[in-house]
Amino acid sequence: MSNLSKIFGSAGTTTDPRKEGMPLFGLWGAEGSGNTITNYRVFDSAFRDVGSPWGGATGTTSNYRFGILADASHAYTKEDHGSNLMANHTTETYSSYVNFQKSIYQIDQYPHCFMYSASRDGHVAWQSYHQFTSSYEYQVGWTKINQVLPEGCRPRRMFCNRRYSMREKSGNNSLASIDHYDYSSHLLNTDNDYCSSTGYNEKNKMLVMVHSGNESDSSAKTVHIFKSSKDLNSIVRIKEFFDNLEWTEYFTDSWSTQNNKDWVTVVGNNCWVGFGSKNSNSKKYCAFDCNQKGVGVDLTGASRRYLDWQNFAGSTTTSYGASSGHQYYTRFNTTWDGTWGLIFSPYYYYGCGINAFAMSLENPRKFISINQTRTDYPNPYVAWNRTGFHGGSAANTDGESWQTYSFSFDPTDSDHTVDTKVFMGSTSGDSTMPDNNSHVGGSFTNKTGNCSLANSYTQLTGGYYSTCYPVMMGINWWGQYGAADQSYGGK
Amino acid sequence: MAIYYFTNAGEPCTPFEETGEDLMKKGLAIKATVPDGIESWRLSYDTAAKAVVVYAEGKDEEGAIAQKATDAAAQLVTDKEKTDADTAARLES
Repeated sequence: MSNLSKIFGSAGTTTDPRKEGMPLFGLWGAEGSGNTITNYRVFDSAFRDVGSPWGGATGTTSNYRFGILADASHAYTKEDHGSNLMANHTTETYSSYVNFQKSIYQIDQYPHCFMYSASRDGHVAWQSYHQFTSSYEYQVGWTKINQVLPEGCRPRRMFCNRRYSMREKSGNNSLASIDHYDYSSHLLNTDNDYCSSTGYNEKNKMLVMVHSGNESDSSAKTVHIFKSSKDLNSIVRIKEFFDNLEWTEYFTDSWSTQNNKDWVTVVGNNCWVGFGSKNSNSKKYCAFDCNQKGVGVDLTGASRRYLDWQNFAGSTTTSYGASSGHQYYTRFNTTWDGTWGLIFSPYYYYGCGINAFAMSLENPRKFISINQTRTDYPNPYVAWNRTGFHGGSAANTDGESWQTYSFSFDPTDSDHTVDTKVFMGSTSGDSTMPDNNSHVGGSFTNKTGNCSLANSYTQLTGGYYSTCYPVMMGINWWGQYGAADQSYGGK
Repeated sequence: MAIYYFTNAGEPCTPFEETGEDLMKKGLAIKATVPDGIESWRLSYDTAAKAVVVYAEGKDEEGAIAQKATDAAAQLVTDKEKTDADTAARLES
């Protein structure tokens, strides 16, 4: 994968300018009401503090609005974001933005987040406190295409697909589209005219889109596969991608789910494509062969399918999907090195825990379920280190080192005929670096295996604040690859 | 009654026999019998007592959610009291 990112130089030695260092995350800690003691730090994947101080506060009531948060155009109440960050997602619904601060929905593969943006240098800004129902992510974030990209790259351009139109948007805002292209003249089958999911693989320059009978629960599906000689992320206008198609194929099928906005399309490097969706409280996933078959060949899903649909194999309970509101659409994220992906949604109601399918992006036929059954004080999961994720917990910082749920994959593990090894962490002592020769984590059977996550000490905090439940935040720029981070091991 | 599989930490893992038996062979799950009609978030397995625990037992889902909200609010009060006490202790030291 690393070679794929060296695409901008004749000798293959120039690093893709999109390539970032390994993932950072923000950690916002506030005492109780948040008026008096607040701190926000940015950590790299080795948990070194790489942010910058940006404001100050003392323990007096004269500092309710401090530092740059004192800007009246962004202040919400005298407490600013204080107690609003304490929501534990026990009973909260979607009636207020405060209930999304810690939700698993906050972070997907895109550099911006659902309700806020956070800079590498340590500045957090919330998008809107009043008009969240009109916001981009809240309403139509499900139209973003899911991208499989080279190592260290997140989508820096945002293409959206709805009905028969692709539009390029500029990020988490409602400003004018940069581009619009009606691709209907390239379709081979128009039985279904509501695009409900799209995936793109940059290595293969392959765009795969699912059209449904409607944007709710129609099971009728038409899947188109567009193979171009032009990289979608390199063109000036979307039309160029379609003007340079090498081949187009399609197949039809019937895929039931509770709401078509939940579909996620993951185009693998081997041209197998994983399709997954939250379905009621569970989730379903199946991989289809989207390699070129020839004109009029394999026009049904059954002829391209790898085995049968797999339901989520872990524990489920009441949880919200797109049928409960646009903003609950199923998300997609990838590891930093672009070798593993996650199709995920919460385990519990509005944003706690995780129910996910993890799949090899080299070979989407290799997949397992990922499960964590937390029911309060959640946090989103962020990409972490080369091939992993961590997050999921906002336990208070009273007395012991703060924990997150972390898990990593083997980037070379893409054989769907063997078990998937998942690496996990520990909470103390010898188990941090075990005094034995055992694997820490587990090996899980392809397709039907379920990995229940365990928590790990981060060693980040452990003070006295029983009322501090830190918020984990996504960072919109992890820094230029290799510029200042020595974590790459010479890679 | 139904079969449910829990993690070794006592958290709900899976209701599916194929997945659960596979995890048990690998030493990653515990098999137990649970009452019907209870959502999994209310279930846990007490590894010391070797028994299934049902949160807000005897209540329906709505009642259990209400109980959770009540417990969370009470915990917040307890947490605040502890923070205040810890802070006072530090200031005195």
